[in-house]
Amino acid sequence: VTDVLARRDRALTPEETEELLRDRLGDVVQRSVLEYGVFTLWISQDGWQRAVEACRDEPLLAYDLFDNLFAVDARNEGFDVVTVLYSTSTGNRIALRTRCDGGREAPTCPSVTGTYRGANWMEREAWDMFGIEFVGHPALEPRILTIENFEGWPLRKDFHLVSRLAKPWPGVKEPAETDEDGNVVHRVPQLGDAPGPYELDKAMAEQAKIANRLPEPETVEGEQVERATVESDRTEDTGVPLAGDVEQHLEDDQKLTHEADVEVAAQETAGVQDEAKRKADERRREQAEARARKAAERAAGDEEEDA
Amino acid sequence: VSSDLTVTGADRLVQQSRERILPGTAPGEDLHLEIVGEGDFATADMSLSIGPAHPATHGVFRIVLEMDGERVRTATPVIGYMHRGFEKLAEYRDYRQIQALVNRHDWLSGFSNELGVALAVEKMLEMEVPDRAQWLRMLMAEWNRILNHLMFIGSYALELGAITPMFYAFREREDIQALMESATGGRLHFTANQPGGLKIDVPKGFLKRSREISTITRNRLPDYKDLVLGNEIFHGRTKGIGPLPQDVALSIGVTGPTLHATGIAEDSRVTEPYLKYGEIDVPVPVGENGDAYDRFYCLLHRIEASLDIIDQIHDHLPSGPVNQKLPKMVKAPEGSTYVRTENPLGQLGYWLESDGGRSPWRLKMRTPSFSNVQAIPYLMEGQLLPDAISILGSVFFVVGDIDR
Repeated sequence: VTDVLARRDRALTPEETEELLRDRLGDVVQRSVLEYGVFTLWISQDGWQRAVEACRDEPLLAYDLFDNLFAVDARNEGFDVVTVLYSTSTGNRIALRTRCDGGREAPTCPSVTGTYRGANWMEREAWDMFGIEFVGHPALEPRILTIENFEGWPLRKDFHLVSRLAKPWPGVKEPAETDEDGNVVHRVPQLGDAPGPYELDKAMAEQAKIANRLPEPETVEGEQVERATVESDRTEDTGVPLAGDVEQHLEDDQKLTHEADVEVAAQETAGVQDEAKRKADERRREQAEARARKAAERAAGDEEEDA
Repeated sequence: VSSDLTVTGADRLVQQSRERILPGTAPGEDLHLEIVGEGDFATADMSLSIGPAHPATHGVFRIVLEMDGERVRTATPVIGYMHRGFEKLAEYRDYRQIQALVNRHDWLSGFSNELGVALAVEKMLEMEVPDRAQWLRMLMAEWNRILNHLMFIGSYALELGAITPMFYAFREREDIQALMESATGGRLHFTANQPGGLKIDVPKGFLKRSREISTITRNRLPDYKDLVLGNEIFHGRTKGIGPLPQDVALSIGVTGPTLHATGIAEDSRVTEPYLKYGEIDVPVPVGENGDAYDRFYCLLHRIEASLDIIDQIHDHLPSGPVNQKLPKMVKAPEGSTYVRTENPLGQLGYWLESDGGRSPWRLKMRTPSFSNVQAIPYLMEGQLLPDAISILGSVFFVVGDIDR
């Protein structure tokens, strides 16, 4: 640690860094911003890769730790790509920023995966979230964080957070729902933005109905029709019992026995249920009586006290 | 396919050409094999998918290994199963609500996660944070670090087949969690920060208990060292396994104990001090070889380092307010800033870009696990399958921290 801190003396100031990079790269460096302790250099698209490489390879800069790479929505002008680099030897940090070619329709940016290994996933993420195509990246597909077949670019500002449109934030906690003075402004979903709460509820109710639908009870008519068909097949009665008939009879017998069993069981169950119901009624009646008795006693007591 | 070749033994097989013909059950049905690997036995490429639900992956993380026999040819992590879109959600919340959001991505380091956003907002508002709040933030961040590291000490040993360290780790974790709960009300998601300080001051008796637990934990650390670092099997499973060279680590953006293991003492608390870390002594344990053993060694010794810091904080802690009155709506001015803090697993960076509104225009989270896990394909290449698990656990990561 003391080694690292000792080498700090050699660290270039932001002005010196900019001068050095302008000297090495020329017009590629557009402008510099130093705000809130972060030094940002704007780089033109065509010099993006060279600038990142120079930051790593210049001995005086030696930005060896690849810290971050991401995109920012730049409204109508398209998208920006920012990369943050850090030097473990000088302790300096720099942010390089470039505006993507292709506007909002087809943004592209040169890939820096050849310079830093860590840029691989970072660029895949920027592609997944903003749809920026990094030219020279080994494989942007499959989408790294969202699900397969996900449609749209979630971190673009024109990608609305559907849950917020469909269902308002409970209470008035949503920052977007209050105006400058903190007064409530109910956001009305735009037509075609997303299904409104009413439509959504309706759709959900419909789905729930389908999901919870009970299987249709088998109608007796259906059975009769079936039997009729079976009988109509045997219009030619030869008087001799067929092999199938015997089996059918046996089956019928079994069915009847079974049905009888079921009936008996049902009656028993009904009996038990009746019993239970009777007992419950009795209990309820007793309780009611007890309550009435108590109330009467209390009333009597009150009267006595009053007296 | 020929049936006239009869095979009498393995020796003979080896002497044959690289194309092997084994007799089948019937003439004309002989088995035709082709040697793929370098060895004497026939091997074939196989794809092995570990996860998404596997105990060694700490969440829903999948890794596809292309195997050549027992050797890993390529390893491809598949991430995104836990993507919850925090960066998008943050654009729909104000700065105080974001505190409750960001402490969730790495669920083992809730306090440190909140801290970064609070620092970023304060930086943009040029807010003076009371001294006591800064020292208390450090205190809680260090306790949070110990909580995190204890968890990984237990779980890494568990992945290598030792169950006892897990119980030991949870014994200590319970005390520390109770301590944090007494101050914040939360056990994992503390939500104790707000722009300008902490929500509330610590309760009476907190510091006394903090001192006590510091002593208890310090006294119990030798147990871990004996139990895990003193274990022959542990040495066998980790020493020389998955070494990470310094230049590769930096090029990927690996930070935290995984970077320290390679011998680079890059720690934001020292090199870019935030809060009051500049006023105290921050020890940074480093390794030599960057292998799985060194990664674990750094993790374990960082607990001791954190306890040293905690003891210093106890001596320095001033009295005074812990927060300041905030306007009804906190609005960061237009512009952008970057705040990097030393999270338990590595460096966490927040790029906060504001258009002057009450929610951020863009809040990019640079999470340590996302960068560290990128080293896994490099580390696993050419390793044996059992070592792959040993490597997977030694690159300490939380899946929520990768996927956000």
